[in-house]
Amino acid sequence: MSLVKQLWLTITLVMLSAFGISLVVNVYSSRQYLEQQLQIKNVDNATSLALSLSQMEKDPPTIELMVSSQFDIGHYRLIRIVSPNGQVLIEKHYEGKLADVPQWFINLIPLRVQNGQALIQDGWKQYGTLTLASHDQYAYQSLWDGTRQLLLWFLLGGLLTGLLGMTLLRFITRPLLDVVAQAQALAERRFQTVKEPRTPELRAVTHAMNHMVGLLQSMFAEEAQRLETLRDRVNHDAVTGLANREYFLSQLGEILSGEQHGSSGSLVIIRLEDLNRLNDKLGHQGTDRLLKSLGDLLHDGQQDYAGRLKGGEFAVAYPSQDSAAQAAQTLHARLLRDWLPQWQAECPDLFHLAAVRYQRDQSLGELLAQADQALAQARGKGPNNWHAPEQGRTKLTIPAEQWRALLADAIQVGRMSLLFFPVVKGAQGQLLHREGSLRLQTETAAPLLTAGDFLPMAAKLNLTAPIDLEVVRLALNGLRESRGDMAVNLSAESIADFSFRKQLGELLQTQPTLRARLLFEVPEYGVARHFEAFQDLTQRLKSLGCRVGIKYFGQDFLESSKLASLGLDHIKVDPGYVRGIGAHSGNQEFLTGLCTMAHALGMLVIAAGVEQVQDLPLLEQLGFDGMTGPGVRRTDPA
Amino acid sequence: MRNLNLYFLTRLSALAGRLPARLISLVLATGLGWTLAQSGLDRLQLLAQQRYGQAASETVASWRQMLEESRALPDDDKLKAVNQFFNRRLRYSSDQASWGMPDYWATPLEFMGRAQGDCEDFAIAKYISLLLLGIPNDRLRLIYVRARFGANATLNTEAHMVLGYYIDPAGEPIILDSLLNAIHPAAARTDLTPVFSFNSQGLWVPGAPSLGADPTSRLSRWRDVLDRIKIDGIQL
Repeated sequence: MSLVKQLWLTITLVMLSAFGISLVVNVYSSRQYLEQQLQIKNVDNATSLALSLSQMEKDPPTIELMVSSQFDIGHYRLIRIVSPNGQVLIEKHYEGKLADVPQWFINLIPLRVQNGQALIQDGWKQYGTLTLASHDQYAYQSLWDGTRQLLLWFLLGGLLTGLLGMTLLRFITRPLLDVVAQAQALAERRFQTVKEPRTPELRAVTHAMNHMVGLLQSMFAEEAQRLETLRDRVNHDAVTGLANREYFLSQLGEILSGEQHGSSGSLVIIRLEDLNRLNDKLGHQGTDRLLKSLGDLLHDGQQDYAGRLKGGEFAVAYPSQDSAAQAAQTLHARLLRDWLPQWQAECPDLFHLAAVRYQRDQSLGELLAQADQALAQARGKGPNNWHAPEQGRTKLTIPAEQWRALLADAIQVGRMSLLFFPVVKGAQGQLLHREGSLRLQTETAAPLLTAGDFLPMAAKLNLTAPIDLEVVRLALNGLRESRGDMAVNLSAESIADFSFRKQLGELLQTQPTLRARLLFEVPEYGVARHFEAFQDLTQRLKSLGCRVGIKYFGQDFLESSKLASLGLDHIKVDPGYVRGIGAHSGNQEFLTGLCTMAHALGMLVIAAGVEQVQDLPLLEQLGFDGMTGPGVRRTDPA
Repeated sequence: MRNLNLYFLTRLSALAGRLPARLISLVLATGLGWTLAQSGLDRLQLLAQQRYGQAASETVASWRQMLEESRALPDDDKLKAVNQFFNRRLRYSSDQASWGMPDYWATPLEFMGRAQGDCEDFAIAKYISLLLLGIPNDRLRLIYVRARFGANATLNTEAHMVLGYYIDPAGEPIILDSLLNAIHPAAARTDLTPVFSFNSQGLWVPGAPSLGADPTSRLSRWRDVLDRIKIDGIQL
């Protein structure tokens, strides 16, 4: 039995016994009072009637009249006069009854009252003994009414006390519930601190737990700090702070083949004219300042990826910019405005810039070769110039105004489908779960659109919520027809939408068995942008028994204390760190540390974007619990 | 010796307190009643000694002796013995003189302790003594009378109380008066006019709890004195 119930029981028992005892005491003292009153009345009235009769002529009609007038008008049950010889001279009886008082009550609490007695003189002689009994029905009535009223008041009082007690109990036990919730959260490896209650005993417990949580959090924070430093050191260029060549190419590879972005975009390359000469002119530190200012400028972009490819060669990928010329023009304009003027005096011929458009699944080498060619053409145009080769648009082009109709139609008609990719456990390739990836069939016979193709547009049109709900429906259908667990993505825009979270909860409510097999994933940048919303979503989903994780983990690096408070089930590490892991010892160290920390927080760690089967044993060794990507094939039968 | 006896009886009654009520009533019925009554009178005597001193104790002792001696006598002689004892031994005085208040009903103990009292005190003491001697309650009446005295008997009247004894329930009583040593039938007492009579019937229920059981008894002078008599140790 819970503590609150026990307290309730105790309160109820105490109240009942207190009320019961006071009821009994009250009834008995009332009874005693009534008995006394009746007794006094009997005695006094007997005496005064006997006194009157003593003073009178003792002729029977007069006596009869006297007694009758007393009896008929007063409240008497009995008046009797017995002569000294024992002969009854007069006897009057009245059995009036008040109907209200039940017989059981009279039997339960009888009034014991003696009759009043007095002697009637006739001169020196005794005329007789007068016995008189008042009617006790009214006393019973008053006792009965009093008892009932008392009961009523006690009920009312009990009800009030109960309400008050409930409020008080809630008030008293609220900190206790907090402590219990904290303990449960700890068991689920969610590290939360709670407000210390005023109750000293609970405060001691809470204080100790908070202290422990604080220690753990600072431990995690230190570890996270260390990992972040390590990550930056191995993946970023020290001078500019941009991604280094390996990391940028890894990211570019993911952009070209992954699900996150659309099927085409632009790559811009900036090449500085002869770095050696710059070094001579500006000195080593001056050159570093120049590189740094360029790096800061390129770093500014939000939805793009920038990196330093070589000493004087920089690259920026714009996954959402379809036109290479536009990408080149925009960046070139910025460079001319914000960067070039500082340095032009000393180095009039500073850079040239080229942009190429890329297609999904284009090879990295081919793309870089195209870029190189374009750079040469840009150089041919003169100092600080740019070039973007015109390329045939092979991608299906849909005007922005048609997207709304297309997406709404897709949801209603059901043109969306999920494509499943396996997530396996260890090098043996045992299936952990399948990850559902959204595909859209347009009306034309064109190839299926991937999520990266239409989700950015859906986000602009505020349509991600219905799309994500449809995804969950599709996943539930998929679960019904198959075994094993399934993971689906929710977009950042959807989770920020309160009504989406509510609808999602309601949808899952209807599927109590299937929902336990469902995993939800939100991209890391979405979590960082809408943290409170994600927290709320996580609580809702976890209370329904679903699992929740973060996708593309490692780019922004969530604040570790926030991560610790969420109690997530898994993270999928960004492919940028996983590609080419075999040759990258720095990232190996970083990922080992990340796995250790995530395990301490009770999360599974899954490597995304695994390209080669050969990487699997290494990833397992680093501490990954699962792997997914083009290199992963399920070995066990469906 | 008396104290030892008292001690023994106290122990006995304490023991009796633990015995089942039925057994107690059985024992009471088979003659221990008198012994218990005696123990009450022992207490009475002790109280007289403590409260009023040697003279009072002696009065009580001789009262007890008188009761003892009269026990076997016929009713007539009991009346005479009791009447003589009180009328000769104790002095008549007004309540104001005895008790410092206009009207006070004294218990026999208080009466014998002070060795003076008014007509009610005499009547009550005689009434209680006769009850102790086994005279049935319904033969005894305390009677309020109007007494005429002196030369102009129609003018000089006074409220007075006497004790009446009814040999025949339907007949006239004989009167025990604090003012006359001799006992006369009512017919001979032309100086007295009866007004009202009473006794303890219906008030003093044998076996009923006495001490403070019913606080209202304090409010009736007659019930109050009956209660105080019980407290003094007189068991009837």
